[in-house]
Amino acid sequence: MTTAAGAKWSRHLFLTLFSLLMLYPVIWWVGASLKKTEELSLPTLWPSKPMWENYSNGWRFSGEYTFTHFFANTLLMELGNVVGGVLTAAIVAYGFGRLNFKLRGFWFSILLLTMMLPGQVTVVPQYILFNKLSLVDSYVPLVLPHFFGGGAFFIFLLVQFIRGIPRDLDEAAKIDGASVYGIFLRIVFPLIKPALITVAIFTFIWSWDDFFAQVLYLSSVDKFTVGLALRMFIDQFDIQWGQLLAMSLLSVMPSVVLFFLAQKHFVEGIATTGLKG
Amino acid sequence: MGIAAERAAAAGRGASARRRKAAGDANLAGYLFISPWLIGFLLLTLWPIAQSFYLSFTEYSLLSDPAWTGTDNYAKIFAEDATFAKSLSVTFLFVLFSVPLKLFFSLLVAMALNRNMRGMNLYRTAVYFPSLIGGSIAVAALWRNMFGLDGYVNQVLAWFGIQGVGWISNPDTSLGTLILLNTWQFGSTMVIFLAGLKQIPQELYESAAVDGAGSVRKFVRITLPMLSPVMFFNLVLGVIGSFQTFTSAFIITKGGPVNSTYMYAMFLYEKAFKHYQMGYASALAWVLLVIVALLTVVNFAASRYWVFYESDGGKTR
Amino acid sequence: MGKRKSQGAVLTLLASVLLLAACGGNSESGGDGQSGTDTGKGTDSGGAKTLGMMWWGPDARHEATKKALEIYTQQHSNVKFKPEFMAWDAYWQKLPTLAASKSIPDVLQMDAAYIQEYVTRGQLEDLSDIDLNGIVDPNVVENSKIGGKLYGIPLSQNAQGIAFNKEELAQYGIPLPKQNWTYDEFFQWARDARAKLPEGKYPIGDSTTWDGFNFYQTSMGKSPVMADGGKTFNLDKDLFMKFYNTYEDFRKAKIVPPAEKAAAFLENDPKADPMASGVVMTRGATTGSVSALEQLMPGKVGVVNMPIGPSGGGWAQSTIFLSVSANSKNKDEAKKFVRWFVSDKDAGEALGLTRGIPINPDIYKALEPSMQPQDKLGKEIYDLSVEKALPFYSAAAGYSEWVDTYKKEMDAVTFGQQSIEDAYAKIDKMGKELAAKAGGK
Repeated sequence: MTTAAGAKWSRHLFLTLFSLLMLYPVIWWVGASLKKTEELSLPTLWPSKPMWENYSNGWRFSGEYTFTHFFANTLLMELGNVVGGVLTAAIVAYGFGRLNFKLRGFWFSILLLTMMLPGQVTVVPQYILFNKLSLVDSYVPLVLPHFFGGGAFFIFLLVQFIRGIPRDLDEAAKIDGASVYGIFLRIVFPLIKPALITVAIFTFIWSWDDFFAQVLYLSSVDKFTVGLALRMFIDQFDIQWGQLLAMSLLSVMPSVVLFFLAQKHFVEGIATTGLKG
Repeated sequence: MGIAAERAAAAGRGASARRRKAAGDANLAGYLFISPWLIGFLLLTLWPIAQSFYLSFTEYSLLSDPAWTGTDNYAKIFAEDATFAKSLSVTFLFVLFSVPLKLFFSLLVAMALNRNMRGMNLYRTAVYFPSLIGGSIAVAALWRNMFGLDGYVNQVLAWFGIQGVGWISNPDTSLGTLILLNTWQFGSTMVIFLAGLKQIPQELYESAAVDGAGSVRKFVRITLPMLSPVMFFNLVLGVIGSFQTFTSAFIITKGGPVNSTYMYAMFLYEKAFKHYQMGYASALAWVLLVIVALLTVVNFAASRYWVFYESDGGKTR
Repeated sequence: MGKRKSQGAVLTLLASVLLLAACGGNSESGGDGQSGTDTGKGTDSGGAKTLGMMWWGPDARHEATKKALEIYTQQHSNVKFKPEFMAWDAYWQKLPTLAASKSIPDVLQMDAAYIQEYVTRGQLEDLSDIDLNGIVDPNVVENSKIGGKLYGIPLSQNAQGIAFNKEELAQYGIPLPKQNWTYDEFFQWARDARAKLPEGKYPIGDSTTWDGFNFYQTSMGKSPVMADGGKTFNLDKDLFMKFYNTYEDFRKAKIVPPAEKAAAFLENDPKADPMASGVVMTRGATTGSVSALEQLMPGKVGVVNMPIGPSGGGWAQSTIFLSVSANSKNKDEAKKFVRWFVSDKDAGEALGLTRGIPINPDIYKALEPSMQPQDKLGKEIYDLSVEKALPFYSAAAGYSEWVDTYKKEMDAVTFGQQSIEDAYAKIDKMGKELAAKAGGK
C-alpha cells in the first residue's frame, strides 16, 4: 500500500520535474514578454516591473485592425483546413490502406514522392498557377489543398493506422451485408478516431505556423493571419521585442488549448470506441 | 468434350465474369476513395512539380525568363560545387543523429505518458509545448539565451567548474545544438506514438498477464509489434522530413558559423530566393528527391522484416 | 446500411466536401472583387484607376504611408490604392515570386542592395523623364542612376558611419573618435583603446564582409571591387593581405572579439547586439539604422564618419527608392504618383521621418523642428560623412552569391580554418568568373 503510494508520488515528482525542464524556456519567454526592451539584455528571468502594456498595446496593434481580427481570420481559415483535412485524408487513406485497385502501388509511390521534393522549388510555379486563376490574396490557395486529402503526411499516417485494424472486423461486417463503403463509415472511420484527432491537431498547428505560404498568398492587411501580423513587429533594424514576444506567446495559445482538450480522445482509444462497431 | 467439362468451363466463365465485375467494382471504389487526392494532385501539384523538373535544366533568375542550359546545373552540382558536398554531409549527419534520437526519446515519453493518472493531461501538454512553438521567431531568441556564450547552459556548467563554449556560434558544436533542439521538439512524433499505443487492444495485455508475462515481455511481444506500423511511419517521415530541415537553421544559425549548419534545404532556399538561381535550386531539389527516394525504398524493403500489419492477418507484409 | 446506401453516403460526403471547398473559394476571394493581378488593370471607364503599391518597414511607416495615400486619393479622386506592406525579410522573400509571375505592383519601394538585380533583369521602369528639378538635388539624381538611367526616385538621405559607446569610452578614459579619421588613425585608436579596456570588452569589431573591405580599397584610391555593372572585378591583393593581416593581429591581441563571440552577434538584438550588449565599443551604423541602436542604449550612442584614406571614405546618399514596375499597366499614373510622393507638402507632413531624412530639402526643413534624438543621430552621421563621401558601391547583379561566399570564406579565416591567402584565392576566382560571365552577355 505505502509502496504503491510511494511509486505514485515518485512518478508525479519525476513527471513534474521533466515537465519543468521542457517548459523552462517557455518560462523564460513569459518573463521576457513582460520586460522593457532595455531589460531584455539582463540575465534575469523576471522583469523588475511587469510591462502588461506589451500585451495590451500589442493586441491593439496599429489601430485599423486589432489582433481580435487576426485571430478571427486565422481561426476561420483553420476551420476549413481541419474539416477538409480530416474528412478527405480519412477517405483517401481508406482507399490506399484497404482496397485493391489497379495501379494502387504506383499512385501510392507518387503520393510519397510528392513529399520528397522540397517545397521551395514548387512554390513559384504554384503561385503562378493561383495567380492565373486570380485566387491570390485570398485564403483559397491556403485552404484548398487541405480538401484534397490533406497532404501526403496525413494520408500515409492514416493508412498505417487502418492497416493496423484487423480484417476480421471487415469480414464480419461483410457477412452482415456491408459493402466497402459501409465498412469505411461504420467500422474504419470510428476506429481510427485517435489518429483523426492527431490529424486535426497537426493540421491546425502546422497551418498556423506556415508563414511562407501566408506571406505569399495574403497581401491585404484585413486578410492577415496572426502569423503575418506578428512579423509586422519585426523590421530590418527595428524589432518591437516586448510586443513581439507577448503576442507570439498568445499566438500559440489556441494550439495549446486545442491540444489540451483533444487529448482525452487519445486516452479513450480503441478500448471504448472500438469493436462494438 | 464431356458434359462435366463443359459445365465446369461455363462455371469458370461465370466465375471469371464475376471476378471481373468484382474487380471492376473494386477499381471503381478504390479510385472513388482516392479521388480527392488524385484530383488535387492532377490539378494543383502535378504542374508545379513538372515545372520544377523542367526548370532544373535551365538558368532561371525568377526575375527574367528561364533559358535552357541542358544538364549544366547537374554537371556543376557534381563536378564543382563544394557547398553541395558540404551541405549534403551536414544534412546526412543531422539525419543520422536526429532521427533515431527523436524516435527513441518520443517513444520513451509516450510510454511514460500513456497512463490514466490524475494530471496526465497537464504533463502531456507541458511536454508537447516546445513542439508547438515550432518556427516562431521567439524560438530563435530563446535558443540564443539558452545556448549563448553566457547562456543558461553555460551558467549551469559553470557550477561544476566547466567552461562552456558558444554552443551555437562554435562550428564544432552548432550542428549538435540544432540536433538537440530538434529532439526537444519531439512532440509530434510522440503524439503519433501515443495514438498508436491507444490503438493496441487492452485484451492482448490482459491475456498476456494471465499467461504470466512481465512488463519487458509484454513490451517486446505486444507493444513493439503492434506499434511497428506507426514506428515505421515515424521513421520514414522522420527521414523525409529531416532531409528537408530548414526552419531551425534558417532562424537560429543562418547556416553558420562557416557553413557548419548549412542544411541542404537552406542551401537550396538561398540559391532560389537570395542568389536568384531558381534553375540551379530546382536541380538541387531533384537530386535530393532521388537521394531521399532511394533511402525510402530501402526503408520499405527493410520494413517487411520488422513491420507487422494486423490487417494482413499477422503476417509481416 | 446497405451497399447502395453507404455508397450514396460516401458520394454525398465527397460532393459536399468539394462543394465546401468551392464555396470557400467564392466567398473568400470575393472579398473586394479585386485580386492581385487586377491591381494593374483598374477600370478604364471614367478614368478610375487602382494603383498597387508595396513597401517594407516598421509600423509607423505603414500608418504614415496609408495616410499619404489617402491624401493622394483626396486630391485625385480617380485614383485608388491597393497598399501592401510587410517587414523587410518577408518583402525580399515575396518579391522574386511576384516578379516570376509578372505581378509586381505598379509602385514599389526599392533598396540599393537589390535594385541592380531588378534593373538588370528588366523588372523596373525607366523614370529618367520624371522632372525632379527643385525636388531632388541633381547630383543625388545623377548618383542614383544605373547605366545612365534613373530606375528609382531617391526618398531619403542615408550615410554609412560608425557608432560608438560614448559613455563607456569616457569611463575608461579613451578619447572619442574624431571626424575624418584615417584608417591608420582608426587602427591605432583601437590598439590604444585595448590597453585601457578591461578584459571581455573590445574596442572594435572584426571585419568579414565584402563592403568592409571595399570601403578600404576605394578609400585608398583603387577602383571598387565591382564596376561596370559587374563586368570588371578587381580585388586588390596587396591591400587585401594588408587589411586582413591587420585584423589577424587584432584577433591575437584581443583588439577584436574572438570568432566564436563574433559569430553570436546579432545587430539590434537587445542581448546579442555587439554594442548594446556592452561587449564592443564601436560598430558600423547608418543614418537609417542608428535609431534602433539608440533605442537599445538610450543616450549612450555617439557617431563618427567612416575612416578615410587619400580618396575619402564611406558614402552618403539615398539607398531607398520608389520604383515603378516595368509590367505596370498604369505607368503614367504611377510616375505622376511617385513624383507627388517626394514633392507634395501634405504628403511630406504625413510621411514625416518614417523613411529617414526626406530627400526634398523643403520638406525636410518643415520637419526639422520635430526631430527626436535618435533621428538627430542619423542626421549627424550624414552631415559628418558627406564631405569625404565616396559613391555608394552596391553589389552588382548576379553577385549576391559571391557576397555570401566572401563572408563565409572570411569567417573561416577568423575561425582559423584557412589562411588569408587561401580565402583570397577562392573569392578572387569566383569574382573573376562572374565578371567574365557578365561581360560575355
